Amino acid sequence: MELQTLAMKDATIVDDGTTERTSYPYVTGTSVIGMKYKEGVIMAADTGGSYGSTLRYKSVERIKPIGKHSLLGASGEISDFQEILRYLDELILYDNMWDDGNSLGPKEVHNYLTRVMYNRRNKFDPLWNSLVLGGVKNGQKYLGMVSMNGTHFEDNHVATGFGNHLARPILRAEWHEDLSFEEAVKLMEKCLLVLLYRDRSAINKFQVAKITEEGVTISQPYALKTYWGFSAFQNPSKGAVGSW
Amino acid sequence: MFRNQYDTDVTTWSPAGRLFQVEYAMEAVKQGAAAVGLRSTSHVVLATVNKATSDLSSYQKKVFKVDDHIGVAISGLTADGRVLSRYLRNECINHAFVYESPLPVSRLVVRLADKAQVCTQRSWKRPYGVGLLVAGLDETGAHLYYNCPSGNYFEYQAFAIGSRSQAAKTFLERRFESFNNYSRDELIKDAVFAIKETLQGEKLTSAICTVAILGKDEAFHLIDQKIIQEIIDSIEIKEDAPAEQAPEQDEAGSSGAAPMDI
Repeated sequence: MELQTLAMKDATIVDDGTTERTSYPYVTGTSVIGMKYKEGVIMAADTGGSYGSTLRYKSVERIKPIGKHSLLGASGEISDFQEILRYLDELILYDNMWDDGNSLGPKEVHNYLTRVMYNRRNKFDPLWNSLVLGGVKNGQKYLGMVSMNGTHFEDNHVATGFGNHLARPILRAEWHEDLSFEEAVKLMEKCLLVLLYRDRSAINKFQVAKITEEGVTISQPYALKTYWGFSAFQNPSKGAVGSW
Repeated sequence: MFRNQYDTDVTTWSPAGRLFQVEYAMEAVKQGAAAVGLRSTSHVVLATVNKATSDLSSYQKKVFKVDDHIGVAISGLTADGRVLSRYLRNECINHAFVYESPLPVSRLVVRLADKAQVCTQRSWKRPYGVGLLVAGLDETGAHLYYNCPSGNYFEYQAFAIGSRSQAAKTFLERRFESFNNYSRDELIKDAVFAIKETLQGEKLTSAICTVAILGKDEAFHLIDQKIIQEIIDSIEIKEDAPAEQAPEQDEAGSSGAAPMDI
């Protein structure tokens, strides 16, 4: 089918007949966190795009709505995320053109993305992203993740990149079924704060998105209150006296 | 239909705007053994007459499972039907592989119809000589479609195709309005009855009929021959009972009026 070949012909062929492929990312986004709550799914990410160790772009939207039923958040190469959005745009367009009462739900989008990511990985030309796909359809909540090599799974809460190491432990301890929206946001902000303190590619400008049966809402970017007055931060070289 | 000078190629129009080869292909469907389909809001039933060429041979397969949620019954050139069933199975399996979810029935029949249309517009092809009753269930509910060699498809509450299908259609026309409320078993019973109508006198046994059902919590499957025979027997009992009373009524009414000549 046309859609699949579109996603797979992106390795560029250079003049001398060799092919080029992705070896490393350039502009990257950091963690995305997602969790299910009572009415649906909530997802958050900061709006930063790093160019190596430089925090180059400060207003990158890394969470986007897909169709009526899904939200997609991505970390990793921003240009690859934009490419994925193009593929999904076309997918949703054809789905809508049928105009027949059927629609692609989050499960279908998640699996489509898995197929795309895995196929690209097999050609040694991956889309350098970790994707979080959340949505609600017919009362069923769905939250899944796909990595750049095609590994995919579903869970009640997911996170990419540093979020896996810093946020998931908090979620494993404090997430429970049927969180209210306010509780979910609070838990989300707790995780985001830890990431802000400890992830050097995180910036203090976040968007929190929610999806329910009614639809998608993505908040305007906002900042969290941080505290840097800890006594251990006073006189930071206290413990390292003697180093040249 | 009689032979004329516009019926050699499928790519030749007649002056009246007809494609005779396509119409002849639809004739092939009418010559095939009967197939009927009925639909309620939660179930769809397909039934076919199994015609064997001789007593020595077995009958041809006319009902195919396409996926857990879709099945087809065919009438006409069974070889064409087999090939199209393979195509349908392929489409379903490809969709399930990419999207992990069942292909919506309406999208499948459109693909099938488009495939059939291609054969009505190429000089090196011929139309498929088979009509398909596609029964399916997806998130928009239970569906029954009829795909014909012309490339058209229609949705039905109930339909019958093949030889002597008019008798079944007449039967279904009387009852279809209540099908949506039918239970699973009532639907099967009416399907068997419709098949009986197409036999017009010939004895109906489970050996010469195939029945398949699909429902909300029931994957598409063929119904066991023993169960079909039980249903046939229960239909026959109902018919025999009034027949026993008839002779007495005749004696009572024959005194004055002349016998009716229907």
